[in-house]
Order: sequence, then structure tokens, then C-alpha cells
Amino acid sequence: MAKDMTLLWGSGSPPCWRVMIALEEKGLQGYNSKQLSFEKGEHKGKDVLAINPRGQLPAFKHGNITLNESYGACLYLEEQFKNQGNKLTPENKAEVALMYQRMFEGLSLFDKIRQSLFYDRFVPENERHDSAKKRNAEGLKDEIKIWEGYLQATGPYLAGKSFSLADVIVFPVVAFLFRFGLNEEHFPKLAAYHNTVKDRPSVKNTWPSNWKDSPGMDTLKNL
Amino acid sequence: MAKSMYLLWGSGSCPCWRIMITLEEKKLQGYKQKLLSFEKEEHKSKEVLEINPRGQLPTFKHGDDIINESTGACLYLENQFKSQGNKLIPDNPAEQALMYQRMMEGLTLYEKLNLVAFYDFYAPEGERHDSALKRNKDNLVTELQLWESYLENVAAGRYLAGGFSLADVVVFPSLAYAFRYGLSAGRYPKLAKYYSLLKDRPSIKATWPPKWFQIEQRSESLKDI
Repeated sequence: MAKDMTLLWGSGSPPCWRVMIALEEKGLQGYNSKQLSFEKGEHKGKDVLAINPRGQLPAFKHGNITLNESYGACLYLEEQFKNQGNKLTPENKAEVALMYQRMFEGLSLFDKIRQSLFYDRFVPENERHDSAKKRNAEGLKDEIKIWEGYLQATGPYLAGKSFSLADVIVFPVVAFLFRFGLNEEHFPKLAAYHNTVKDRPSVKNTWPSNWKDSPGMDTLKNL
Repeated sequence: MAKSMYLLWGSGSCPCWRIMITLEEKKLQGYKQKLLSFEKEEHKSKEVLEINPRGQLPTFKHGDDIINESTGACLYLENQFKSQGNKLIPDNPAEQALMYQRMMEGLTLYEKLNLVAFYDFYAPEGERHDSALKRNKDNLVTELQLWESYLENVAAGRYLAGGFSLADVVVFPSLAYAFRYGLSAGRYPKLAKYYSLLKDRPSIKATWPPKWFQIEQRSESLKDI
């Protein structure tokens, strides 16, 4: 099963990491894993374009099936391998609803990170404005506070008692925040969540290799 | 079942429309609903904020459970009402994978449409650039051409992932809005065919937006895309 699967991925990319966590959780270790470099532009290389015309990672194949959208791949793996590995969809209706809600709110969190931390990467020099940078930084801070609030209200996982697809999707984004220096004292619930989930085998086994080798940034230290 | 559901929505909003189509498809007509006005800022009213602190529409409750994220709500409804109404997630692995792929790509399509049609909403005065709008338009053309290729063999019953599915629930509203804002059927014949095949589907017809957003003069129509 896993031998029919191929994943092209880049280190530190939350969308790639999500799929890797899902594969581990469903007991699908042994898939063909190919690490590529964003810095070297390998995500636009022929190998990737053959699977993903958008030239983006992750690029995932299962036999003749292609799934390059990380949410799609995670939903597919949970559905197709329902009776294998860990169950990533709670039984309880309230938890399932919360799982879907948080999963898709995860898009807002990742967007706000990109708009703020990667402003210069996405906005050409002549189009940049301090007013936009400031607004985006405020937007990111407000968004992070929202998630701190969510983890004050529910826990230990995003949908409640059980680790679910919401965590598969959102944890890599939270990990990204701490990699960029988010202050554990300012956001204790997020820190506790980060510390709980980072030791989960599926997460530990797929931790970004370049994060182990180098210290993170402190961009978000004062947020 | 439907009676314990409450949807707060705004006319012309694609995310709201997605949930409404799903409710119809799953035979959940009869849900409580309230039409609010974006223009009057009713999406920031107390009633919305109590359920959805983000002050956004759609805002959706099923009993005590709240799912305001439209794609999440659609997945939830299909998941909870699998054996009722129309099946919106195929069982066949290849079709299912394609469905999830197109469904999520549909969110990219929606974003790229908004970045052109509602450019002024995303870029406040003083931060607008012709270069940015041009880039957004070029990106939208690339995106639409991709969807033209996805719908190469479109026919009745052959939609984004085979039979009508959640991929169509997410994507159709965006294309309806694109054509409403002037997208050329001549330049995008497959998209136009997809649109004409689905516009009379009962769930879609029943929930067609009573009115669309006023489009600003500057963030022009999509007729030149």
C-alpha cells in the first residue's frame, strides 16, 4: 500500500508536513519519499510539474491517483484507510463539528502568517507599504490570540479529547510560529499544545530536518 | 433534524451559497435561516458575533455545534447525513481523490477571482497599484485556463469529479459569480458549458442568490479576463 505511494516534499512546509503526519498516523510508513529544495527552485522542476502542474509541494501520488492539496490528501488517507492506524475523525458529533471548524480556520492562521512573516517575499518592492505591514502584523497577533483562546476553552487537542485531522492540519502551522520565536510566556496554552503534540511519534518522526540542525528565528518574540 | 439547524447568510456570498446547496442536496430543507445585509454591516451584529466571533458569514449551527467555515460545514453535513439525500463524496478511490483535489483547488479559484473583482476591498486606498491588479488578472487567467482543462470532457453527469459532488458544491458558486460579473463564455467555453449544465440543478436553482454584490467601478468586471 505505502509502496504505491510517493510524496515530494520540502522541509518546514506545513502543507507537506501535514501529509507526512497523516501517513505516519495511518501506518503507511515506507512510502517513496523525495525531499526537494524550495531555495533551489526544485518545486518548479520537471519531477514536480509532471505530478502537479501548479509547481507546488506537496505533490502526492497513490498508484495512478494524484492529490496535491494537503487537506485533500489528509481527508483521502483518513477515509481510504479508516480501519488502519489511528482514527483521525472523532466519534462524537460535537468533536467532529469542532474538528472541521478548526481544520478550515487553519487556513486563516496560515494566511496571516504568510501575509506578515513573508510580506517581502510575496509583495514586490514597489508595492510595499508600512501601513500594510503594520495591519498584517496586527492581524497575525489577533489571529494567534484567537487560537490561544480556543486552547483555553478546549483541550488537550483542537477538537477536544482526541487527536484528529484538525491537529494534523494545524499543528505544523503552530510549530511554525514557535520556530519563528513565538513567546511561550505570552501564549501558554499554545505552548502547552505545542509541547504535547511535538512528542507524538508521527510528529517526531517527521520533524523538519533543517529545524533540527539550526536555531529558529526570533521574529515573533515580542508579539 | 433540519429544524435544529440555523444559518445566517448574505446574498451573493459564495461560501454561504455552498452550505445552502449542500443542505438542499442532503434533503435538509426547513432549516432556520436569516438573510443579513453586508452593506448594513449586519455580519458584525451581536447575533452573529455570539455564534461567530470572527463576524463573518456564513454562520451555521446544528444544535449546539457551530461550523462557520463553509467547506468544513459541507464536509460535516455530508459526513453526518451520509445515507440521506444525494451522495456528495464518491466511494471510488480515484473519484474521491479527484473530488478532494478539486474541492480544495476551488478555494484557490475563489481567492483569485476576489483579488480581481474585489481588488479595492483587499487593497485600501493608498495601497493600490496597477502592477498588482495586472498581476492578479494574469494569475486569474492562468487559473481559469487550468479549470477549462479540468472540464475538458464536461457533460451531463460528468462534472469536476464525475457525478455531482462537494467539488461542484464549492466551485459552482464561484463560476456563477464570475459569469455574473462578465466573464466571457466565448473565451471559456467549457466553464460556460459546466455553468449551463448545473444552473438548473434543483439545489442550485432553489438557492440562487436573490442579489449580487455591487461591484465597484474600478475593480472592474471580469469581461476582459
